[in-house]
Amino acid sequence: MFIKKSISAIVMASLLFSSSLIDTVKASTPYEAYNYNYWEEAVASPAAYIPDKVITGLDLGIGSLLEPNDFALGSDGRKYISDTGNKRIIVVSQDWKVEQIIEGYMSSAGVMTNFENPTGLFVDHDNLLYVADSVLGQVIAFDEQYKVTLVIDNPQSDIIAAGFKFVPLKIAVDEAKRIYVVASGVFEGIMQFDTDGSFLGYIGTNEVKRDYYEIMWRMFSTKEQLSKSVLFIPTEFSNLDLDQKGFLYATNIDISTQTPIKRLNPSGVDVLKRYGYFDVKGDIFFRGSIGPSRFVDIKYLNDGLYSGLDSNQGKIFTYDAEGNLLYIFGAIGNQEGTFKTPVALEFDGARHYVLDRAKANISIFKPTKFGKLVNEASRLHYNGFSKEAVPIWEEVLTLNSNYDVAYIGIGRSLVMAKQNEEAIFYFKQGMEREQYSVAFKRFRREEMKEHFSAVMTIIVIGAIATIGLLMWRKLRRKNMKFRNSHTVGRDQAL
Amino acid sequence: MKQDFINFPLQVIFKPFDSFWDLKYDNKGKLIVVYLLVILTIMAIILQKKYAGFLVNYSDPRYLNSVTDIVTVVFPFLLWCIANWSITTLMGGEGKFIEIVKATGYSLTPIVLIYLPMTFISRFMAEEEIAFYYLLISIASLWFVWLLFIGIMTVHQYTVLKTIVTIGLTIVVMGIIVFLGALVLSMIQQIYEFIYNIYREILFRT
Repeated sequence: MFIKKSISAIVMASLLFSSSLIDTVKASTPYEAYNYNYWEEAVASPAAYIPDKVITGLDLGIGSLLEPNDFALGSDGRKYISDTGNKRIIVVSQDWKVEQIIEGYMSSAGVMTNFENPTGLFVDHDNLLYVADSVLGQVIAFDEQYKVTLVIDNPQSDIIAAGFKFVPLKIAVDEAKRIYVVASGVFEGIMQFDTDGSFLGYIGTNEVKRDYYEIMWRMFSTKEQLSKSVLFIPTEFSNLDLDQKGFLYATNIDISTQTPIKRLNPSGVDVLKRYGYFDVKGDIFFRGSIGPSRFVDIKYLNDGLYSGLDSNQGKIFTYDAEGNLLYIFGAIGNQEGTFKTPVALEFDGARHYVLDRAKANISIFKPTKFGKLVNEASRLHYNGFSKEAVPIWEEVLTLNSNYDVAYIGIGRSLVMAKQNEEAIFYFKQGMEREQYSVAFKRFRREEMKEHFSAVMTIIVIGAIATIGLLMWRKLRRKNMKFRNSHTVGRDQAL
Repeated sequence: MKQDFINFPLQVIFKPFDSFWDLKYDNKGKLIVVYLLVILTIMAIILQKKYAGFLVNYSDPRYLNSVTDIVTVVFPFLLWCIANWSITTLMGGEGKFIEIVKATGYSLTPIVLIYLPMTFISRFMAEEEIAFYYLLISIASLWFVWLLFIGIMTVHQYTVLKTIVTIGLTIVVMGIIVFLGALVLSMIQQIYEFIYNIYREILFRT
């Protein structure tokens, strides 16, 4: 008890004395930062990311972008913008100097093909560029000199219907150079292509949700009515990304689903961890007129963290590997750092980049102290350095004492260090019941061991006392009965 | 004293048929015990919400309100008794209102007896043992329903089928009473508004 109290005293004291730190994080943001607490209420939180810079086509000196649709970052710092409306791909160096403008590709036969509608692009770990053009119906791979190396056009397979029109929208390429394509009008899942461009198959179908009301309704409707009603079809994916293990992160924009973000293993099964308080689905609480989050892009950040871009409310939701919502930033609006139609999300290891189609610009967000600390602690925790994460979590708690993930992180480290009583306190603060149970069980066992003799003595004494009392009462009753019967006999005799 | 407050309630929960018979024909139940049981039930519920172990306690401490807890026990209790009395008088039940109150009140005994110790024990439970907590809590509720059923059946001298029908109807009547109550309240409010408006009109005209 004393330890528990002293810990809370330390936490409170550190909160009081380190309030000067808060000033360093204070920065005006065009949006209100918040997070969800255990009771699913949106509570204010320090901003994790603040707008840093906004880049438009004019800043790059190439005229305004027109409806740009995708954006990618190479590991060498090069940036690739798919300027869809102007039918070109712009390659920008690390310090925002235009290096190259690609308007099409020259085939080996010497025929020039211009882009028609480059909707998606991807840069793999060797910094090779891949472009998906939905009007051309092609996925084009380039080499370092932006010469074409592969064109995927009209995939052929037994499982593809005869009149199939290939409309690739978004692409991703794994380390083995397999190409994953989200294509329009494909409900079977994500299309997977081999290095040579041959079609391998679909992975990760979105399940059709059975609606019992709808099924009942269908039982009573006529054929004409049925033919006019909407079909039960699985929803399409909206975007995808890959982590370093080759797992696919995919988003879909089905508003009724509880799993808009999926992590697909190589056989297409959703293996996303959802151990947080609530579903990994963006906003938990929203107005009915606004509707739930619609994820249009997802970015794997490293070390289990991933961010989803919600086009409905212009927010970026970042989750850790276990599905805890770490922070939320962004908004729809006209100020710098807000969006109209955000379409693509990138991350360079520190900063988030958001491409806006309607505003035709790229907003860059830099982390605050709070954001940096949360990222750092999550990173340490993911890599197994729970103990090293503790001081960072404590610092996070000085900035935001309502940050449950930090309490749980400290608690886990304490459990590993066998400080169960302290761990119990932290898990209670973080409302983490499962871990609490583990810590509590250990604590209980220790206490039992420690006080075994005392507990046993009390139990034995209690048992003896109870038995003694019962026997005494029985004896007394017998005596009374005897006396009564004696009296009765005497009365009768008299 | 001991007979009234401890032995008879215990007898009721273990031998409901005989005990409710005694309650009706030997005039054994005491109204004061019923009041006590209702108060203890309220206390058991309040204590459970406030002090049950962290693993089983899902109530938000910011919204705990003892007044609400009192109302959520007392109001349905009275509503049930009134509705049941209204129905059974029409359906040839032999029970008096006081007997219905007594039968319902004594049926609360298992809830008091199980909730209070379980609240205490739940503070020492780990995740694996939680199942026992919920098992005993559900046993308490089922036991209560069972006793209530026997109580109503004995007090009114009904057959099983008739008891089931009456209980169903009682629930319907409870709904009707709530509806009528809401109607009356809203009408009173309207009338009040009307009179108040007239008063204001007169005040401003002159």
